[in-house]
Amino acid sequence: MNRSFQRRESIIFFAFALLLVVILPLASSIGWISPFTLNTWGKYLSYAILAIAVDLLWGYTGLLSLGQALFFSLGGYMMGMYLMLMIGKLGQYKSDLPDFLVFLGHTQLPAIWKPFYSFPFALLMVVVIPGILAFIFGYLAFRSRIKGVYFSILTQALTYGAALMFFRNDLNMGGNNGFTDFRFILGADIRSDGTKRTLFIVTAIVLLGVYAGCRWLTTTKFGLIQRAVRDSENRVLFSGYAAANYKLFVFVLCAIIASLGGSLFVTQVGIINPSEMTTQKSLEAVVWVAVGGRGTLIGPILGAIGVNSLQSWATRAMPDYWLLFLGAGFTLAVLFMPKGLVGLPLQLRNAFVKYKSRSAADEDAPQIPAAAITVKPTPSTPSSPSAE
Amino acid sequence: MRSSTLAADGPATSEATVRAAVVEALTKQESAEQVAAIRKIPADAGPIATELLTLWKEGGIYLHEDDEGKITPVTLTGEKDADGKQAALLVLDKSPFKDAEGKPILIDPAEVSGAETDSNIRRAMKDLTDMAALSNPDLKIRLRAVSDVGLELNLEKLPALLERQKVETHPGVKKALEQSIALTQLKSPDDAERIKACAALGAMGSIPSQDALKTLASEATKEGKKEVAAAATAALEKIAAHVKVVNTAGTMFRGLSTGSILLVVAIGLAITFGLMGVINMAHGELLVVGAYTTYVVQCIFGAGLTLAPFSQSSLTFTIPGMHATGATFSVYFLVALPCSFLMAALVGIGLERGIIRFLYKRPLESLLATWGVSIVMQQLLRLIFGPQNVALESPAWLSGSWVVNDIAFNWNRLFVIGFAVIIIVLTWAVLNKTPLGLLIRSVMQNRDMAACMGVRTERVNMLTFGFGSGLAGLAGAFISQIDNVGPYTGQNYIVDSFMTVVVGGVGNMIGTVISALGIGVVDQSLQQILGNPVLGKILVLGTIILFLQWRPQGIFVTRSRSLES
Repeated sequence: MNRSFQRRESIIFFAFALLLVVILPLASSIGWISPFTLNTWGKYLSYAILAIAVDLLWGYTGLLSLGQALFFSLGGYMMGMYLMLMIGKLGQYKSDLPDFLVFLGHTQLPAIWKPFYSFPFALLMVVVIPGILAFIFGYLAFRSRIKGVYFSILTQALTYGAALMFFRNDLNMGGNNGFTDFRFILGADIRSDGTKRTLFIVTAIVLLGVYAGCRWLTTTKFGLIQRAVRDSENRVLFSGYAAANYKLFVFVLCAIIASLGGSLFVTQVGIINPSEMTTQKSLEAVVWVAVGGRGTLIGPILGAIGVNSLQSWATRAMPDYWLLFLGAGFTLAVLFMPKGLVGLPLQLRNAFVKYKSRSAADEDAPQIPAAAITVKPTPSTPSSPSAE
Repeated sequence: MRSSTLAADGPATSEATVRAAVVEALTKQESAEQVAAIRKIPADAGPIATELLTLWKEGGIYLHEDDEGKITPVTLTGEKDADGKQAALLVLDKSPFKDAEGKPILIDPAEVSGAETDSNIRRAMKDLTDMAALSNPDLKIRLRAVSDVGLELNLEKLPALLERQKVETHPGVKKALEQSIALTQLKSPDDAERIKACAALGAMGSIPSQDALKTLASEATKEGKKEVAAAATAALEKIAAHVKVVNTAGTMFRGLSTGSILLVVAIGLAITFGLMGVINMAHGELLVVGAYTTYVVQCIFGAGLTLAPFSQSSLTFTIPGMHATGATFSVYFLVALPCSFLMAALVGIGLERGIIRFLYKRPLESLLATWGVSIVMQQLLRLIFGPQNVALESPAWLSGSWVVNDIAFNWNRLFVIGFAVIIIVLTWAVLNKTPLGLLIRSVMQNRDMAACMGVRTERVNMLTFGFGSGLAGLAGAFISQIDNVGPYTGQNYIVDSFMTVVVGGVGNMIGTVISALGIGVVDQSLQQILGNPVLGKILVLGTIILFLQWRPQGIFVTRSRSLES
């Protein structure tokens, strides 16, 4: 990692920060960008936060968690509880209680809901609840050295179980319908353009912060061990590192990052329900990372924004065929673009070089067996996101 | 089975006698007289009395009055002629209704009054038909009548029951008779008889008598008849113990059948994931391919099928149907089984050749790539067959149950278990008794060594994956008989199947069998205890995660010296 590289990277980073935090909101306030568009982009940014969490686990540590959507929606639910209480008497039943609780026949607020009148408490829970869940699950899973596909299958089961639980009405979390119809956040009208702009800026700042934090983490010794665990866990163990603790830390950290993304998602999208909590959603996040380029930090952001904007266009333009393209495109990306969009230029350059050398070789010595040229082991993913 | 009615046993209740008695009742003028006449109709008369009385109640009997005022009950038959008149049959002997000269008398239903009933008459009729049902030749009707009479707790009906008990030969009905007699005797004025009845009910473990016994216990306590109350309580305790046994056995049975479903669904995965190490997220969709194949086969046997895939285009396919009915139709399932297997196997082989073979060394990526495939397949199925679930007619033989000692063995659950056994035996035989199985096992145990011995491992991979996929297709055909079939049905099974294979120990068939049955039984027991299927399911998932703490590699561990495996 040389100095000029770092400087260039910081320049790009600050340029993006300027764009997201200042220019886009300004453009929106003078009417160049509609509030709706800005809001949609805010949603993509919160997805990008989730994508970073997936990538830090999968791309850097080799843990393919199918449970990130669970942590994402848990964060959403924690924030949603606060927002539900802020509706106050404006709900359909004109009661202090959230509508669905009235509907279920409650006359007073269940005890676990009471502290959520406080915004700081809700924020704390956004961090604590997914953190604790990830810690317990991760502790159990890594202690018994569950790894690879087994880890994926177990996180899938965890998500499935949690979704089943949240679908139930007696959890007092809104059941099927979840939370929606929010009115106020910190006293401001959540539907006003100004609030939406502010939420966009907050999301952008959190995203940039998460990016910078992860960027720093991956350059430390910790990041090095993280990647070593990914590439050969046994060698890390034999070198005397407690790989399980490293994995546990990353798992908890990623749960919290995903949860932050979820809490921002809810404020901007205005709804959270158990259908966000499925393996499918986790896999979608994995798609963004795979398409963008895993093992880099810019890749997930690109992938999340790219795939989602493509999706919102395509679901309108060709509702029947969009999923066909998504599925097929994703499969092709996994097969032929192991490094995603970010790695594509390098891949193309390599292919071009190879093609040139081959045609040169063909002229010189046409007898060279094809296998000698085409068979080339996939190099392990480069760690630097600024490789290009 | 006893087929003759009591009418054939005794001369007193021949059909003619019954008909005469009914005619007698019909021709009476006053309601009270009619009731008395109905009460005189022999109760053990068999179905003919029931038939006539029902006809009477429903207004199917007409009373023809001739010039002299003589009333003749008749039933109408045949087509109406131009005047709206119909030919008539005598109720007395079913012969055509003729006048003195032998000319048929035609009757206009609008002009002739029908035989009427009032509530007293209807009650008398019901008492009689209930009693008559006790000797109905149809086993089901007789059994139900016997049980129902018992629940009435009507002492007046005791003699009829006792009478019936003397001639009844069918063991099931005999048992029901005993129960009904004991139940009725609970009302007896004689305490000794009541105590005896309680003891009998307790010994039988008679579940339907619980309410009656509870009432008796509280009444007897009020009246201060301690012995009767004690007998009733003792009987209730015995019955409660019996209910517990029945419930436990029922839970075990349901658990076995739930486990069998898991097993059938997971066995294909046990091969593709367990033996080959491929995470095939499209496994659920292969299942659905099998289910839809069954659906198509059913349509071919039935009324045909018209598909309009890709709604925007005007493309339509019509598959003509054979319009088969009855037995020919019900064999469709046997035809569908191999079709489902082949169809899913072909899709699986395509999947293996097209995608998975590039990813054997990257299992996590095979998970992702096949997930993409699963989305594509879901959407394709949705476009071809529509988003709704398709309707499959379950064969008639799947409904109903076989009750042994109050434990109901539903036919469809028995079918599930039987199917699982067949699939397991077949899979075992293919893997252990065929040349292909030998190749499969050798390649899975040591690919390089097998390749050195000249095994074409690529081909074996393809066939193994095809076999696993085909088993998924079979599972789909099976699922179609017990569950809805829609484009997304596969998703309901995928988590469970993976868990089953992981718990069983990857690469071990016996492990998969044990874990599927174990998970099924635990699931059903938890449902029984918690009374809530969703909570039960969540707990099962939690239990599995904890179980893997204890045995991270499942029940059976495939031992290997390799560090990474």
